[in-house]
Amino acid sequence: MDVVFGFVGYDFAVLVADRAATQQIIVQKSDEDKIAVVDGTKIMATSGPRGDCVAFAEYVAANVRLYRLKYQHELDVKATAHYARNELATALRKGPYQVNALLAGVDANGPELYFMDYLATCHRVNTGGHGYGGMFCLSLFDKHWVPNMSRAQAMELVDLCVAEVCERLVTAPTEYLVKIVDKKGVEVIEYDATERLAKRREVQMQAREAARQAAARVGA
Amino acid sequence: MSVNLDLSFLHDTERGAASTKYRDEALQGVSNSVHASNFTAPAVEDFDAFQREVINYVKPAHGTTTLGFIFEHGIVIAVDSRASQGPYISSQTVKKVIEINPFLLGTMAGGAADCQFWQRNLGIQCRLHELENGKRITVRAASKLLANTLYSYKGRGLSMGTMIAGWDLNGPGLYYVDSEGTRLKGQRFSVGSGSLFAYGVLDQGYRWDLSVKEACELGRRAIYHATFRDAFSGGTVSVYHVGKNGWTKVTGDDVGELHFHYYPSEKIDEDSLGGLGKKEAEERAAAEATAMET
Amino acid sequence: MARRYDSRTTTFSPEGRLFQVEYALESVNHAGTCVGLRTNTGVLLASEKKTMSKLLEQSSTPEKLWKIDKHIVIAVAGLNADAMILVNFARLVAGQYKARYGLPIPVENLVQELGDHMQGYTQFGGLRPYGVAFLFAGWQGGFQLYQSEPSGNFSAWKAAAIGASHQAARSILKTEYSEGLDISEAKGIVSKVLQKTMDCMSLTEDKVEMVYLSYNELNGEVELERILL
Repeated sequence: MDVVFGFVGYDFAVLVADRAATQQIIVQKSDEDKIAVVDGTKIMATSGPRGDCVAFAEYVAANVRLYRLKYQHELDVKATAHYARNELATALRKGPYQVNALLAGVDANGPELYFMDYLATCHRVNTGGHGYGGMFCLSLFDKHWVPNMSRAQAMELVDLCVAEVCERLVTAPTEYLVKIVDKKGVEVIEYDATERLAKRREVQMQAREAARQAAARVGA
Repeated sequence: MSVNLDLSFLHDTERGAASTKYRDEALQGVSNSVHASNFTAPAVEDFDAFQREVINYVKPAHGTTTLGFIFEHGIVIAVDSRASQGPYISSQTVKKVIEINPFLLGTMAGGAADCQFWQRNLGIQCRLHELENGKRITVRAASKLLANTLYSYKGRGLSMGTMIAGWDLNGPGLYYVDSEGTRLKGQRFSVGSGSLFAYGVLDQGYRWDLSVKEACELGRRAIYHATFRDAFSGGTVSVYHVGKNGWTKVTGDDVGELHFHYYPSEKIDEDSLGGLGKKEAEERAAAEATAMET
Repeated sequence: MARRYDSRTTTFSPEGRLFQVEYALESVNHAGTCVGLRTNTGVLLASEKKTMSKLLEQSSTPEKLWKIDKHIVIAVAGLNADAMILVNFARLVAGQYKARYGLPIPVENLVQELGDHMQGYTQFGGLRPYGVAFLFAGWQGGFQLYQSEPSGNFSAWKAAAIGASHQAARSILKTEYSEGLDISEAKGIVSKVLQKTMDCMSLTEDKVEMVYLSYNELNGEVELERILL
């Protein structure tokens, strides 16, 4: 079960994906990169069977590149999303790409995030997530996301989401990758969940200990 | 009188019209099998039902344990050799490591025929790559060729879980490729019904700085333990090592012998078994003999 | 000498010329003049109609100006039948782009696609080049004016002219054009150009077609306005 989510900030967009490649109950590797770089200012996180995801991401990236070579200017994010959605819609009627994607990018219109699923839904959104992991994040976004967040604020929100997924999702992955895209390019952040989670765990342990002592006092 | 022959194709780094020509000639007859997606689907009305029916006839080697890992001195590949068809062990001597070329190995899990056919096909593609480019193909590219082929047949009933291991100019490379089209680069993989058991031993014993001897033993041990627990894995454990000069086969041991090698049986103390001791048995036999005489 | 090299489009003459392409250009140079001018609020396209007879039913007469998409208008000079094929092709390209990327096609993309298409007819045997040149007026974040030729060449301009006596037209444009023209000044220049290039005493309504492409900031839409003399 892939955990994929993302949102837009002031002049950038963030995508987060877990790093596990799984086969039934086995974690085959935990350093997989599920966020494809479409071009210098666009990234796409995918969730679904790895074969489909890789094939789809490579296909979209190759066509965006082809467009640039052919017309000497770049496709903007909206056009890329429309194009990708179109491909998903075409594929849907012939052995579909079982790919759910989040496409983030920055162009003259500022940072944008597009939510797409394998049924070829496509929405421009401020925040988005896929799968069960994404669902845990959605309510956090509703509560904590504000327009024009700074990078520091954005990373705090990522922390909240990862912490929540780790706490509540059965089979929560342990490794995560964060990519931030702005007009200058793509920044990759090797996200250390353990370090971030240590603080939260400490708080929980303290609460538990306090509750135990309180119970002991009542007992006495 | 001398004859001038065009030997330009012998210079392995040279490219030109000649190489294309020779390649095209060489390709005649094989080209159909080289390029993916040339097989047509069977002409039946309900493909899925057809597939469910016939899959039983063509899928030996369903239970398997294979593993591979990269360490300081290269790669170790270890596999079992059992093939099963349902509850029946159809072979104990299956070669599950496919020697694609002197620098590339493939492992076999899933359909034996699928693995053999498509890895041989991969061998052809790799050789053609060498002829066209005058240098060996990278493991990365080779695994991508296989993954592309398998992806093009996705949903058409292939069953493969394979590792492609080899040494190229980037050093050791290990990829997992399966018939769903997945392709993963990694340090450590195990594939097959016994992979869970193999992972247990492998993950605990793995270190980057293992010696070649230690690494081979770790691979062998992991497969042995998988064959012990997994009914569909067994036969012999084959261990290969891939180094910068290509692969070598290191060991091939019967799992039964391995078992007694790892766990030698203690001498049985017959007295402790609760039956008659040897002395008593001899006395009884002698007594029975005298009784017969009289 | 030249006879040997002008029957086939795909054969260079010894001097390195493609006669058929040059002849195609020649057919363009006999067509009614088209003038395009970029102003600070839009693009003005004007063309000379060669009305042949008073008996001609005006409403069914093919025009010189064609709308390709909401934001692109083109003026054609050359064989009208050829132009119709290319107009159709251009509309198809624009429509396909919209379907694929969800956005109006950038003007340069359309010009390039059309140029590539026309170039093919100068290289692949058995076909003749299109005897058409275009002026493209469009909006894509800013106003754009392009010109294309039968060879497939295209270029961007502030002011351009094609068709009969385009050289004279160009030299007038060169002296008269300045940055930041408004619509009435532009109309004045265009009228002057047409007056000089058309071999008639007076400009009349039935001899000229003119359109002004502008952008409405309020509703974000491109507007096309037919301009009368």
